Amino acid sequence: MPTSQYDLVIIGSGPAGSTTARFAAQQGLKVLLVDKRQELGAPIQCSGAVSRHALEEVGVTPDEEFIHEPIYGFGIYNEKGERTIIDYRRLKPDEYGAGEGQKPLGYVVDRRRFDRYLMTQAERAGTEVWLKTEGLGYRPNGDGGCEVFLRRFNQDITVKALVLVGADGLQSQVGKWAGLRTHIKITELASCLQFIVDQVETEGLLEIITGHEWAPGGYAWVFPKGHGYAEIGLGVIPTMTDKNAQWHLDQFIHQSFFKERFKNSRILEIQGGGVPLASPLRTQYADNLILVGDAARHVNPITGGGIHTALSGGQIAGHFLAGFLNEGTPPTAQNLEGYQNHWLEELGNKMWKLYDVKTDIFRKNDIRERDALLYQTMASYFSPHSEYKKI
Amino acid sequence: MSKKEPVIFVIGWNACINCGVCVAICPQEAGFISPFDTIAVDRPCDIACLLCEDICPVSTITHKPA
Ligand SMILES: Cc1cc2nc3c(=O)[nH]c(=O)nc-3n(C[C@H](O)[C@H](O)[C@H](O)COP(=O)(O)OP(=O)(O)OC[C@H]3O[C@@H](n4cnc5c(N)ncnc54)[C@H](O)[C@@H]3O)c2cc1C
Ligand code: SF4
Ligand code: SF4
Repeated sequence: MPTSQYDLVIIGSGPAGSTTARFAAQQGLKVLLVDKRQELGAPIQCSGAVSRHALEEVGVTPDEEFIHEPIYGFGIYNEKGERTIIDYRRLKPDEYGAGEGQKPLGYVVDRRRFDRYLMTQAERAGTEVWLKTEGLGYRPNGDGGCEVFLRRFNQDITVKALVLVGADGLQSQVGKWAGLRTHIKITELASCLQFIVDQVETEGLLEIITGHEWAPGGYAWVFPKGHGYAEIGLGVIPTMTDKNAQWHLDQFIHQSFFKERFKNSRILEIQGGGVPLASPLRTQYADNLILVGDAARHVNPITGGGIHTALSGGQIAGHFLAGFLNEGTPPTAQNLEGYQNHWLEELGNKMWKLYDVKTDIFRKNDIRERDALLYQTMASYFSPHSEYKKI
Repeated sequence: MSKKEPVIFVIGWNACINCGVCVAICPQEAGFISPFDTIAVDRPCDIACLLCEDICPVSTITHKPA
């Protein structure tokens, strides 16, 4: 088989990869997007909360194909169950609500449908997509491009590209191929478990429960999941507890101030995953290579949210690479640093600030002090008067 | 640092939820992965930091001497 030549080969079709692909293809690049899965987004490793603004910013129309339920605000709880409600239906009734002319603040999406939808948009923009295709390695070949080694339905295939984009999520191997320092500290990776449940009432709010007692190093959540279902989950930092996430979730459901509310809950699905509450990678580029999304640790270190940052990061990467390659700039590490600088300016510097805020909270040794600070920070983060610019 | 003895991992597949957290925390070089998105189980790990065991949300990773 002759070796095909692409401008971009993108490994991983999550929100970061497919958005990079869509913007790059729209601007005329020849793009190959590969994913090892047979069904994108499955098994689900995400709760799916994303703001409407995050979708609109990258030109994604909220579509019932992927929306489980609209969201109108937040309920932030401290360890005792006292809460701050930030309901935009009450704060800004002219804008937010379910009525005519009103809008939701955000959505809980089904990641299986969402990821497929985003991939379809990339495909319609001209991207070639290969599923059941695993990225195995890459090698800069000295003439300005690189070779990318893939395995598709058991067949080994080598393709040529100018730039390889690692959008391969939290377990990212692409950065390791290039020898980048991608390691996450054990103190900064939350181990998460969640149940989709029946028989738990919700009110169109994302509920976030803070407190060391329930989720040491992280927080617990209750999200509406559509069809009358809810999602109960939590993330813990392994060095802050002797127990695993499963034990903590069991405690939260059966022993917390919500035990009455959860009393009749029935588990419909079990999901897990890891959330890096870390800083972005210091180096997200190498010769013929950049990283985007979770692979570059583009995750909000306070909320753990990574969909918005994956989408915006994808847009930044797609635009940058299109401009860059359309001008014929050689994709050396030195030149690709421009991507990271651009990203820092648009998004990254804000994430570094949030990382500092997060580090200050978890540096406190006194549990009560830390609990109080986390509760306060979460409550002010989601308020309309937030001093933190939303990402 | 004292040299750790290499280990081989055993994953209780019945409890594994394919969350990939064990791979995410693993400092091994690229490719120390099983076809099920967990750390590799078919060859020894000579780093043996056991972070993968610590972080597994359902504690389904154990090891034996390689
Ligand atoms: C329990 C949990 C709850 C979460 N809840 C939220 C939330 O409510 N809101 C929010 O904003 N964020 C949430 N996140 C974070 C969010 O899921 C991630 O930040 C987001 O998915 C990152 O997108 P991505 O495109 O970078 O990577 P991913 O979505 O992980 O996509 C990576 C893709 O790469 C593919 N891939 C990997 N390796 C290869 C390879 N070698 N070859 C080919 N393909 C490969 C994978 O199959 C996958 O499709 C949550 C995370 C967890 C674990
Ligand atoms: S012991 Fe450490 S290096 Fe070995 S597989 Fe587990 S996490 Fe990776
Ligand atoms: S961390 Fe545990 S549950 Fe998750 S993939 Fe690894 S072995 Fe399976």
